[in-house]
Amino acid sequence: MTLLRKALAGTLAGCLSLVSACGSGEPEQTDSGPLVVWFPGNSETEMKLLKETVIPAFKQQTGTDVQVTFVDWAEISPKLNAAFAAGTAPDIIGHGVAATADLVHNDRIEDMTPYVEKLPAADREDLAAALPGGQVKGKQYNMPVIMTIRLIVYSGADFKAAGLNPDQPPQTWEAVKTTAEQLTKRDGGKITHAGLAVPSNPIGAQQAFGTLLWSSGGEYINAEGTKATLNSPEAVKALQFYTSLFQGPTAVDNTLGGTWSNSPPAQQPIVTGGASMQLSNSGDITKYQKAAPDRDLRVVMPPAFQGSKGRAFGGAANGLMINKDSKHKDRAWDFIKYMTTGETSVKYAETVGSLPIRASAAKSAYVTSNPELLKTVKALAVTHANPNVPGWVQMRDAIGKQLEQALHGKISAADALKQAATEVDKIIAANQ
Amino acid sequence: MDAAPAGSSASAAAPTTGFRKLRKLGKPRRRRLGSRYALIGALFVAPAALYALVIDFGPVLYGFYLSFTKYSPISRSGPKPVGLDNYRTLLSDPEFGKALLVTGRYVLQVLPVTVAIALGLALLANKAFRGVSLFRTALYVPHVVSLTAVSMIWLWIYSDQGLINDALSLFGLPPQKWLVTEGSALNAASAMRVWKALGSNMVLLLAGLQTIPRDLYEAARVDGANAWQQFKAVTLPGLRPMLTYVVAMDIIFLAQGFSEIYVLTAGGPLGSTTTVNYLIYTEAFQYNRMGNASAMAFVLFAFIAGLSIVAIRLGQGRRT
Repeated sequence: MTLLRKALAGTLAGCLSLVSACGSGEPEQTDSGPLVVWFPGNSETEMKLLKETVIPAFKQQTGTDVQVTFVDWAEISPKLNAAFAAGTAPDIIGHGVAATADLVHNDRIEDMTPYVEKLPAADREDLAAALPGGQVKGKQYNMPVIMTIRLIVYSGADFKAAGLNPDQPPQTWEAVKTTAEQLTKRDGGKITHAGLAVPSNPIGAQQAFGTLLWSSGGEYINAEGTKATLNSPEAVKALQFYTSLFQGPTAVDNTLGGTWSNSPPAQQPIVTGGASMQLSNSGDITKYQKAAPDRDLRVVMPPAFQGSKGRAFGGAANGLMINKDSKHKDRAWDFIKYMTTGETSVKYAETVGSLPIRASAAKSAYVTSNPELLKTVKALAVTHANPNVPGWVQMRDAIGKQLEQALHGKISAADALKQAATEVDKIIAANQ
Repeated sequence: MDAAPAGSSASAAAPTTGFRKLRKLGKPRRRRLGSRYALIGALFVAPAALYALVIDFGPVLYGFYLSFTKYSPISRSGPKPVGLDNYRTLLSDPEFGKALLVTGRYVLQVLPVTVAIALGLALLANKAFRGVSLFRTALYVPHVVSLTAVSMIWLWIYSDQGLINDALSLFGLPPQKWLVTEGSALNAASAMRVWKALGSNMVLLLAGLQTIPRDLYEAARVDGANAWQQFKAVTLPGLRPMLTYVVAMDIIFLAQGFSEIYVLTAGGPLGSTTTVNYLIYTEAFQYNRMGNASAMAFVLFAFIAGLSIVAIRLGQGRRT
């Protein structure tokens, strides 16, 4: 029996040491083998472009093998976290810019500033609108590959049908609301057709609210990233306006809580005819036009609240980062540099149906062939990004939940923002 | 008859004494043999025991340890002990309290309905009629399909232009926003889960029905029992062990509801469908707070264990 006890104790000790080894081990990455890249998303056209065109061309130019894995957006963070814990994270990490600050805070990604500084001055100028989105405390950690912007897409056909001039869309948010009221159709007290559809699910609401907040002169947090500024009169004004789209006798949107902003182009209210105007990712304008050619879809340049400057949520959307533990940092930068060259970056943006990162892309055939897309690219100059601070994902969700309460009429705009500010301050403190 | 016990006790005394002597003489040898058998037995059990220790208990123990730490998987510093802080935080976290209530409500509104319908279907499937095999197979199909795939289909069924709203329009009724209205979202998810759980529950209950001896029904009929009396006096008592098992397993699965919530509502609107498991996912994989998430997981474990024990006790009923 002593032998048995010893055997059992030995087994248990072995298991525990195995488990603790699993938790703390960080195997070193080797210098041999291909460059491993993870891209977020699994669009068929994107996979085809990278596998059949970009990677073979890069290999021909540099001799470097690239092993690319496409990870579903919802899975990228959990898989990346597990890979970091196990020491198996890829050399190049593709992710949204919102994830950058947390990875920097945990010392997981390489500062690419020295590489960017070696780029020709003309290149840096061409990328000037995109680069800040990937910076944390002034250093370049994420190299953007596509841009995004939230603009109002409207139907020229609906404008004409309502007796409005489609060539003169509203220029201020106040005018947007008045126009939306004219376009809204009602059956008794119930809206049957939205004059303006605005995302209202928690993440979409945070981005839509950002557009309204910055267009009224407000900010989420102060410039130092140390305190929430959601209690400001500008923020309250922006949220009261946002809430009025869904609540009250002059409401214009019947899509409250809907998750259409994540749906394919053919299911967007502006495409299906469920709405006459829609605050949307305008990089998709070409897809919308293709899905609904009869609706004469166009974009409005970013409106402002009276007395303020028009701003729109956007800037860099996704980018590439270098794993700090990678043994191929120079080769990784070579690949990132290749992805951001003029020709490749435009081709990539065109394939994924998004906005290119270079200002010079405004002259490309992809952009100039569509006047509405050209307007969208020009509007990139007034984009405003979310704060790039540690804990932002958590802050975003906390803000989104409070906005949702206000939009459903559960609490007032001022109370929702007060609560959001308290929660954001707690998260900032926890991440100091 | 009277002499027999006396005689038997007298005659039993001698062999007992003899056996004791024999056992005394053979004790060291028997002990050696016993130890050898135990060792061989342990060796046979060892692979399975090792598997259970490493694959099952290892992560559980590690998770329990993490629940007393602050740990982010992307951090380079590893877990930092924080004592009971994570559990204390949960006590004062209204979001966690609400998630526990949502989880409890989800279990309570799915469980009775699915068990009752599954029992009805099992009673039907227990009859001999043409096509009974097809009937049983058709009912079991939802169980075979992955919960995520089923949820995707129901997402469309509940959508603005989905099957249910199309059906409503045939009767001139306005479309409903099933998944984005606070009052209906959890009910909509529950209806889907009832449908999904029917197949496996029906098969288990059918197996239970088939273990009830036919003689009991014949005896009941001879005694003049009608169908309802037979169900009450024969079927339900005979089915009690299987019913208890079905209820306990359903509680365990339903209280861990995640995939359907993730696909259908992402916990919304206004947190009305945020189950504890969905909250654990958010804490662990969106915010990288493994310590908090582990503490939530152990509270959920206690919650499930509590509900299951109550269900099993009630299922055992008035056993004498």
